[in-house]
Amino acid sequence: MKLRHVAVVWAKELTDGLRDRRSLFSALVFPLVGPVLVLVLFRVMAEQQGADEPLRLPVVGADNAPGLVAFLGAHDVEVGDSPADPETAVRTGEAPAVLLIPDDYAERFRDGRPAQLQLLVDNSRNDARTSVRRAHRIIEAYGAKVGSLRLLARGVDPQLAQPVVLADVDLATPKQRAANILNVIPMFVMMAAFIGGMYVATDSTAGERERGSLESLLVNPVARSSLALGKWLATSMLAGASLLLTLVTAGGALARSPLEELGVEISFGALDGLRVAAVMLPVAFLAAGLQLVVATFARSFREAQTYLSVLTLLPMMPGMFLTVAPLQVGDWSRQIPILGQQALLLDVVRGEPLGPADFAVPAMVAVAVGYGCACATAWLLGREKIVFGN
Amino acid sequence: MSRAVRSRLARADVEPGRGWTQGGTETTAMIQTHELHKRFASKIAVESVSFAAPDRRITGLLGPNGAGKTTTLRMVSTLIRPDDGRAEVDGHDCVREREAVRRALGVLPDSRGLYPRLTARENVRYFGQLHDRSGEELEREIERLFGLLDMGDLADRRVHGFSQGERAKVAIARALVHGPRHVILDEPTNGLDVMSTRAMREVIRRLRDDGCCVVFSSHVMQEVAALCDEIVVVARGRVVAHGSPEALRDQTGQADLEDAFVAAIGSAEGLHK
Repeated sequence: MKLRHVAVVWAKELTDGLRDRRSLFSALVFPLVGPVLVLVLFRVMAEQQGADEPLRLPVVGADNAPGLVAFLGAHDVEVGDSPADPETAVRTGEAPAVLLIPDDYAERFRDGRPAQLQLLVDNSRNDARTSVRRAHRIIEAYGAKVGSLRLLARGVDPQLAQPVVLADVDLATPKQRAANILNVIPMFVMMAAFIGGMYVATDSTAGERERGSLESLLVNPVARSSLALGKWLATSMLAGASLLLTLVTAGGALARSPLEELGVEISFGALDGLRVAAVMLPVAFLAAGLQLVVATFARSFREAQTYLSVLTLLPMMPGMFLTVAPLQVGDWSRQIPILGQQALLLDVVRGEPLGPADFAVPAMVAVAVGYGCACATAWLLGREKIVFGN
Repeated sequence: MSRAVRSRLARADVEPGRGWTQGGTETTAMIQTHELHKRFASKIAVESVSFAAPDRRITGLLGPNGAGKTTTLRMVSTLIRPDDGRAEVDGHDCVREREAVRRALGVLPDSRGLYPRLTARENVRYFGQLHDRSGEELEREIERLFGLLDMGDLADRRVHGFSQGERAKVAIARALVHGPRHVILDEPTNGLDVMSTRAMREVIRRLRDDGCCVVFSSHVMQEVAALCDEIVVVARGRVVAHGSPEALRDQTGQADLEDAFVAAIGSAEGLHK
């Protein structure tokens, strides 16, 4: 292997790749589309959350319970006019829920018997769920308040009727909550690495053979490893460029996202940006290596493309796996490329203290696996069956 | 033709490494193969091919399609390993000393794909650089080859959209950019029109006159007759005849080279023009 040859092959593949419109298109468009999608997602989430907006809860039979209605009004509930057909209103989503106050409410209430209320809901509607929960809470609070007053009126301490109090204590800091929501971004960034290098990887291996230039290339006095390394580095560079571009646009998208409305605050300085880049960049070398060896193995350009599209889903695996089987993943997973990068990135975003070794080890593992794949590609290029087909 | 005549024609007994006499002058066999054998899966591609190609001569491998010419040339150009027998270029073994063989050889393989997004000059320069040529020297050589091939205005256009003939010119320039002493051309005029064929023949003759050892393969009788100093007739993976065109005519007792060819391979297969 000669470094000079590696450089010659690298420069040629890079020139060739940059002149390929398809490869440029995929390397550039995905980084722009992905983060914009995240931005839109956050906007929609913020709108759904709408914690500050008054709850719209039409009431049928409001005259039967003026006290309750007044309480609702005092708790930021917009008691609208009762709809003509409450059931249809709930089903169509016109109102998230409708409160029915029966005519015997006042009588039972006066007698101190449990007065029944009905809340019309449609559990198949996701968008109404938060509102329904809020309505529950407010009405229960009203019941608790009236109950306490009754006990007081009879000279009983209301606390006696409250043997246990349960309160949730949310331990997640805003930064950690941000990390959870931002889980999708590392996936996008890693996918960008796979997509950015895809065409060069295919073109310089399966494409080289299909176009009939491989035979000519291999009669040159150049080690197979020089060829494979040059191709690997060129692919890695395009993958890396695509990855970095995605990081930059994702940063821009996050800056414009209504994160604070989601109860999330992230402070992201230039240094953090560099840290994130340092975590993610090794993925480019890994992606390029995997793609090269798979594309070299494929029998045709089309076959290589099919395999590589499947390979692009690789960064989605950890997330999907953890959703299906939410295991407590041990520390060993940090040594596995992609899983390791994902975990490390979360640490960076959470603002946990990290030493150089925390960055270096997963990076070296990812680059080493990529390099191993490049060596495997070199070996494949020495096989007659691979070079000339079956 | 009798079996006896055929076996007399098959001069597979050329001793590798030994010089042989041609027209009174001693020439050395620079490319030679000795009982090369190669099989793919269950099919025998090359049974036993031995020939010697000297310097300053054009040696043509002539044979019908599927006779084993391309496989033989691939073994000589180090792309595939023979299962048995050996090939040498300049005394270097094509398996053990691949690097040296690759340096000495200029090869125009069976598939001669170019990089469509690179210009003609960039295509040729890439291979020159892989042969450790660089700078002024390389650029001058590329310019010289392009002049020789009469393709001045094509030099800096991207190869995408080039005609067959234009592609062939780039491919031959690419194979010769490092100034090889020995040249292997697999069906060099395949798919070319009359003008391009003439240009290609001119290049091949010039290489010979410059002292190169040229080996090329063809399934076209006229091609071989027009160019070759030596003919090696290959059929079914074996050398069935070997000699100058005149010698072949004499030995088969046929006045016409085409008839001599048919006599040598024992059938008329693959003679279509």
